[in-house]
This record gives sequence, C-alpha cells and structure tokens, in this order.
Amino acid sequence: MPSGARRRYIEMNTEFKQCAATYGTVLTELAKDNPDIFVVEADLMKASGTRTFMEAFPDRHINVGVAEQNLVGIAAGLAAMDRIPFACTMANFISQRACDQVTISVALNKFNVKLVGCYAGLSQEKNGATHISIMDIAIMRCLPNMKVIVPSDHRELADVLDFASKDTGPLYLRMPRVLPEKLFDSSYKFSFDKGYQINAGSDLTIISNGISSYVTVEALDELKKENIDARLIHLPVVKPVDTDLILKAAIETGAIITVEDHSVYGGLGGLVSEIVSENRSAMVARIGLKDMFGLTANLDFQLNYFGISVENIVKTAKNILIKKKNT
Amino acid sequence: MEDKITELKNTARQLRINTLKAITNAGGGHYGGSLSTIEILTVLYFDVMKVSPKKPDDYDRDRLVLSKGHAGPVLYTALAMRGYFPLSDLKDLDKPLSNFPKHVDRLKLKGIDVSTGALGQGLSIACGMAISLKQQKKGNFVYVVLGDGELNSGQIWEAAMAASKYGLDNIIAIVDRNKLQIDGLTEDIMPLEPLKDKWAAFGWDVSEADGHDVASLRDAIYAAQKSNGKPSVIIVKTIKGCGISFMEGKCQWHSGNIDENQYKKCLQELGDGI
Repeated sequence: MPSGARRRYIEMNTEFKQCAATYGTVLTELAKDNPDIFVVEADLMKASGTRTFMEAFPDRHINVGVAEQNLVGIAAGLAAMDRIPFACTMANFISQRACDQVTISVALNKFNVKLVGCYAGLSQEKNGATHISIMDIAIMRCLPNMKVIVPSDHRELADVLDFASKDTGPLYLRMPRVLPEKLFDSSYKFSFDKGYQINAGSDLTIISNGISSYVTVEALDELKKENIDARLIHLPVVKPVDTDLILKAAIETGAIITVEDHSVYGGLGGLVSEIVSENRSAMVARIGLKDMFGLTANLDFQLNYFGISVENIVKTAKNILIKKKNT
Repeated sequence: MEDKITELKNTARQLRINTLKAITNAGGGHYGGSLSTIEILTVLYFDVMKVSPKKPDDYDRDRLVLSKGHAGPVLYTALAMRGYFPLSDLKDLDKPLSNFPKHVDRLKLKGIDVSTGALGQGLSIACGMAISLKQQKKGNFVYVVLGDGELNSGQIWEAAMAASKYGLDNIIAIVDRNKLQIDGLTEDIMPLEPLKDKWAAFGWDVSEADGHDVASLRDAIYAAQKSNGKPSVIIVKTIKGCGISFMEGKCQWHSGNIDENQYKKCLQELGDGI
C-alpha cells in the first residue's frame, strides 16, 4: 500500500511543488511577448507567486487589497479594453465572495477574464472550512459562457496558462496550493477539447482531475493486484466537457467512479452523473465531499478522511462491480 | 455658448419625452430613476463624450458605465437620438429576445460599453477601464453614472479606494443624488450623508451640480476633466421622476406603470407635440 509514500511526498514537498512558482513564472514569460496580459491580485501575491511579474511589469500588476469583488470588477474593466487580465485569489473567495461579480461583470458581459482560484480544494490544508473551496467547480460550471479547467500537474498548469492567454472569453482555472511536478508521461499534452485516457480498461472507469488524479494514478496498481481492469480518465476540462469520452466509457465499461476534492454535488461526480443519466445506463459512484465542509488537517489526512485514497477507490471499485453484476 | 445650452435643453426635453414613451410602450418600468438621469445622459452624449455612432467600436473613444443599469431606457433612447440606431427600434424595449432588455446588454447593441443591472458593480469596471487607458497613455475618459441607492454597496467603496490608489483622474463618476431608493428615503434606509466628505475622505475630487440644469452639469464635468492625479465625482442633485408632477420625489415610482389618462397627462406636462 503506497499511502505511506504518498504521505511523505506531500509532507516533504519533494514531488509536490507550489503552484505559485509555475503561475508566476509562466505568466511573466507570457507577458514578455503579450503586452495585454495583466495580473490582478487581492493581497495574495505570496499564494499566487506573481511578485516576479510585478517586478518585471509594474504597470500591468494591480493589487486591490482584500477586496475580491473589486478584484473581479477591475479585471472585467481591463477586459472591456481588450486586455487579458489574470485575476487570482483563493478559490473559495473568487467563486463565493465575488460570485455575483463573476456572474454579471464577467460571465454575462462575456469579458475575456481569466479567473484563477488558488489554494483550491483540500490543498488549503489547516486553513480549514473557511478557506477550503468545496463548490467552486459547481458554481463556475453553472455560469453561462464560463470555461472551467482543473489541471493536475505543473506541466499541465503551464499549458493551461498558455492556452488561457490565447483563448477568448471567461475562464476559470482551479489551481491547488501544490501539485505534482510531473504526473503524466511525456506523451501527454493538454488538449482543451479532449479528456485524457491514461489507462485502457474494461471492468470500470475512474474519472478524476486536479489533485485527485495523483491518487487515481496510484490506485491503478492496487486495482491490478485485485484483478480489476480499470480504465482511467483524466478530465482537466470540466466545461466544455468531452462528453464522447465519458459516454464511451459508460458504454464500454458500464460503471464509473468519479474522484474529486470538491463536493460531489455539482462537481465532477454531478457532471458525469448528468451526462450518463441523460444518455446511457451505467452505474456511477462519486468519491468526494458529501454535504461536508473541509477540515483543519493536512492534505494527506483530508484526502483519506474524504475517501480520496487508494484504499477507498479499491473498495468502491469492488462494490460497483458487484452492483454492475447484479443489474 | 447660449446656443449650445438651448440646444442641450431641447435635447433633454426630447430625451425625456422619448424615454417616457419607450417605457410606457413596454408596459411600464423604471420611470423614477430614468427621469432623474435625463440631463446627465444628455450632457454626456450630446456634448462631452468623445463617441461616434459611425464608429461605435473605435478604441479611442470615451466610455460610459451605466452602473445604475435600471436607467437603461434613457441610455437606449439617448443612443437612438445620437444616431446609433433608429428611434423606432425602441418599440422593442423589454420585448422577449429583443436587443433592448430592461438592463443594458453590451452583446446585443453597439454603443453599450458594459452590461449592467446588478447594482454596485460599475465603478470597479470603470477602474479597470481607466487603468488600461492610463497604462496605454490614452487621454480618453471613463464616465460612470451611479445611483445614490447603490452607494450602500460595499464594492463601490472598494472601487473608490482603488481609483484613488491608482490616481485614476480619467474617471468621472456622476452620482444621481435623487435621495430615494426602493424602500424610501436614502437617509432613512441607509444614510449616505455627509456624502461629499465620504468621497473626499476616499481621495476623490468632489463637486456638486444641479442634475436638471444642463449648464451646471456641463460646467462640473469640464471642471472634473481638469482634475490631476485624483478621480472625480460629481454629486448631482436630482429629482426622481423629474418632469412628471405625480411621479416627482415619490419612491413608489422607482418602478411602475401608468394608464392611458396618466400617459396623456405626462405628455401634456412634457409639452409633447408643442
């Protein structure tokens, strides 16, 4: 059981790296070639890592202080002038505190604002319930005109930032505090249109994104030991979603497990259930937060507590296969 | 100068008549707050703002954020009278799927810079626009029309601080100070006074004007354009429902509808057809 190894990785930060490093560095690089890129902050430069951007482009770095509604509004105004603002604050604040500004000032106006929710999900760790975003994906997914992307490693995060800088229209990027530096092999390249099938399999399908994809990749070996031939799909783009890939999995494997560090209501679990129930008959089991707030605890404890663990994925897989057999 | 003032007065009178007709044709709406902004939008669109209906997307234009989005019918009517589209299009106000929803939608109509309607959000957007203009060293202005009721909203003051921090002297905010909000007098619901002192304390250049006197408004806006290093706010004294005797100063006319007789009386009072 590799959970001990996982615990060490997270606590020692050897494999996991602060997303701020990539966010700040990549945006600074992109801004060298693109004079329209702006960074908008709300007193969280330490969390987003844009101090280097501020030093390189002081007239394109705006800091509004602890005022998330104004953060989003100012970004909307910059976009109204055809600039490309990246507005970042903690995922809970950008999706909840500034929800109406995101809805009206950004989504309704279809302004080209890149909303970045940093320290997303359980990666807030000991900051606990007040800071752990459990509904940012659900909220953003509901908004017309909004694209929603949930990357799982630093290489993918960099690709998504590059994509966002070139794409037009409102976009939400869910960025945890830490992500593995490199989760996928070199053949993988982020695609806005397609989900990524990490492993072919026919017994059931596991779908994940964000920090949870790290756990589901780890679960594959354990599932093999249990003679479960699992298909594994990494789904970074939650909206617009690769419906074909999900339906193909539903048809070919008949059982799907979703894994997310977010509420299953309206998150990845909700999304997959909606698509499957409208089109095909397949079992869906949803792993994630069920009517609960996050905890004051480290990431490893929280992942295990909410069942985002190799053990729980294996257990859920066994259960869903029994249900599938009986239907 | 006298000619210009006379011309603006006539334009305002016509804008008031056309707006009233458009709202009434739509089956009623926000008469009160629309009629209080007539002279403000007249002076902006027919005198001070650098905009052209021939080039509505011209990057080097002034911008308007109608933060009190419920005064949309006035903006639509002003744009029509300015030549952006035929006045007859206003028959579509509030009609399903039309380009003239109750609250302005920039995606539906050339000439609308920002879709608004949820109060309290316009000043932040104006700040973003003004920051961009300054960063590009462009001399255009961003005008923001704020309702006084929406000054209850915290976001306005977040934006007020930011405008001051970034020295956005290219923002001119105009507060439609009609002293009424939906539930009653602003000073009863959530007192704003001393309003001048509040803005001044937030680092703004503050002036006052008579919101129904085009000359007074004009002078105040031209003076505000000369502000150096500080954003400007003009608190303009207005009358909610201005021009219609039975609506003036009554908060129940924030939104409503009128019957045939009332409509005739309105047109008579406004001198329509004279």
